Parts: sequence; C-alpha cells; structure tokens
Amino acid sequence: MAQKTIRQEFFKGLWDENPVTRQLLGLCSVLAVSNAVINGIAMGLAVTFVLVFSALLVSLIRKIVPNQVRIASFIVIIASFVTIADRVLAAYFPQLSKAMGPYVPLIVVNCIILGRAEAFASKNKVGRAIIDALGMSAGYVLTLLLMGFIRELLGNRTFLGAQILGRWFEPWVVMLLPPGAFIMLGLIIAVSNLIDFKIKERQKQP
Amino acid sequence: MNLSTRMIVVLTAVGLLSGSFLAIVGQVTKERIIFNKRHEIEMAALKVVPGASSVKMIYEERDFAVFEDRDEAGNLLGYALQAAGTGFQDKIVLEIGVNAELTTILGLTIIEQKETPGLGAKITSEEDFLRYWQNRDCTKELTLRKPPVEDPGALASNEVNAITGATISSRAVLNIVNEAIKKARQLQTEGKLSGIN
Repeated sequence: MAQKTIRQEFFKGLWDENPVTRQLLGLCSVLAVSNAVINGIAMGLAVTFVLVFSALLVSLIRKIVPNQVRIASFIVIIASFVTIADRVLAAYFPQLSKAMGPYVPLIVVNCIILGRAEAFASKNKVGRAIIDALGMSAGYVLTLLLMGFIRELLGNRTFLGAQILGRWFEPWVVMLLPPGAFIMLGLIIAVSNLIDFKIKERQKQP
Repeated sequence: MNLSTRMIVVLTAVGLLSGSFLAIVGQVTKERIIFNKRHEIEMAALKVVPGASSVKMIYEERDFAVFEDRDEAGNLLGYALQAAGTGFQDKIVLEIGVNAELTTILGLTIIEQKETPGLGAKITSEEDFLRYWQNRDCTKELTLRKPPVEDPGALASNEVNAITGATISSRAVLNIVNEAIKKARQLQTEGKLSGIN
C-alpha cells in the first residue's frame, strides 16, 4: 500500500475515515454533549488535546513497549492526559467543566483515542501520528459542532446561547433529549453515506 | 533483558512517570479548584440578596449553610441559605436569599442540577422560573401555581410558578426551599443567627 501524503493523512479524518460518521467511534460522548454548541467546542478541545498528546507519546515509545503490555501502557498514558484536561478545565473554566459533567473523565474510554493509538500511532512515526491525530480530532469536532448546532437551534432556539429563532418557533424539546441525539446522529450518518455514494458513483463514470 | 523483565520495567516506568506528572498537575490546580467552588457559592450568596456587598458564612451543616449578607455600611440585609435536596435525576443545590426577619424570599439561584435538558433544567432559567421567586412571602409555606401564569403580579404572595412539563423538578425546588426556611427559622429561635442588628 502506498504511503499517503501528509495532506491525505490529515484530510482522511475529515471525510473518508471520519471517526464519528465512518468509524462510528466515540459515539457515547457525541450523543451526550452535542445538545449545545459550547459543549461541543469544549469537548472537542479536550479530545483534541488528549488525542494529539497521546499520539505523540505512544508513537515515541512504540519501539520500547513490548507488544504484550502495549494496551495497558496506552491506557495509562491516555488516562493521564485526560486527568490533566479534567483538572485544568475545573481550575480555569469551571463553567465548562460543570457543563461537561462526567464526560471529560470518560474520554479515557473514548474509542477514538485508544483506536488511533493502537491502529495508527503505535505503527507510525511521530510526525505522521500527530497529523493523523489532528485530522481525526478535526473530524470529531466538526461532526460534534454540526450536531450541536442543529440540536441547540431546534431544541432551544439558540446558537451559542444567543437566541436566533423568534418566539414563533416552538422548540423541539426532544432534540435536547437523548432520542433527539440518536435521531440526529442517524440522519447525519445517512446523509454523509448518501453524499459518499454519489461521489463514488461519479468517480466511476469517466 | 528477557521479555517479562522488559514488560515489568516498561509498565512501571510508564506508571511512575504518569503518576508523578499527575501529582504535579494536581498540586498546581488544587487551590484554584477549591477557590472556584467557594467563589461560585459566595457569588450566588451575593446575588440572591439584592444590594449586598459582602457575605460571611455563619452556619454550616451537611447540605445546609447560612450566609450573612451585608451592605457596604455593614448593615445586615438578609441571609443566603444554601440548601440541597433530591431533584428528578440528581441532587439539586440552590441558594435562597431571605430578608433578616425571614419573612420574604428575595431571590433564588440554582448552583447545581442535572435535571432533564429542555424541561427540568429550566429551573435555572431566569425568564421561565427564577424571576417568579422574587419577593415571595415565606411566613406561610410556599405553593406551586399550576399551570403557570405569565405575569408575576397574578400570583398570590406565597405562590411561585411551576414549569410546564417539569412539575417534579419545580416541586423539588419548592420543597428544598420550604425545608431550608424551616431550618433557618429553627436556628433563629435557637439564637444561632446573628439576628437583626
């Protein structure tokens, strides 16, 4: 298999291998925190931080760690970065930390991170691992923001807390609740599959 | 080095390094996190008694605390009661501002809640809920107005609006407030509040 260019390595996270719509990883956090855009931003930044730094470390020590204990060491590394993110949020952004509730500590078991550490960072050079991590984070954040935007708008009439739909619009409370998250996620995956299908079909016809 | 020694060495090293690094981060952020918690509670205590410029905790027990609110001249304006109770999903922590005679509720603010977003979580909304809690007569038990009315003036003096679709959360807040007022009154008769100066 030919090596991807750096560009491709980054952009695959946005579409072809988007962690949420393609790999269906990290869905728990996507469903839980996408009821407001601000939560999506905070969660996205926390995940990006953890993903990039664990990719860096995992890639650095990939030749030292014996195969049998690799998962254990990856988890320790990931958990450390998650704890740092959690403490720093609580210390400097108490409002956000409160809104995120238990979902920051739960990044430890977010499959995107262990998945990328295992599938990519532990097999590639540091630079490439970081690019991959950045691409994956970008894909995750964008999906989260898209969902947060639609759910907050329909469920609460607001964008980032500012009211943009008038009183005439009766909020769809279901959008803020777990069922709304599932419905929205399903629709987003369906639409992205449809677009992907159309693109591939067009590519087939010369 | 054979495999098992290498496994032990690597895992120990990873654990030790992470552990010590976390200890440092924990130390650095600890003070600030405690400060944030205290700051949040004190700000809320200031907010619920209009015109107050300083607060001092004068009584504390599990899930209940009393703050004294004074203005710049040092006159006692009232108390902020911090109280907690069970909501629909989890504990609700709130603060109630009352005047020094414990006869009027001046204001209410919610510090912690995990009610349903879009329904019960509206207890934190100024427009839908909190504004109906200003200047309530608490010499009698407070009661809920269901269905809610738009104009605060249409409520009886000891009535507060319920939130449509979130009666349980509204009632939870109401019960916490009623309990807290009772407790404060008890403390007052025992002479544990500083009283009117």
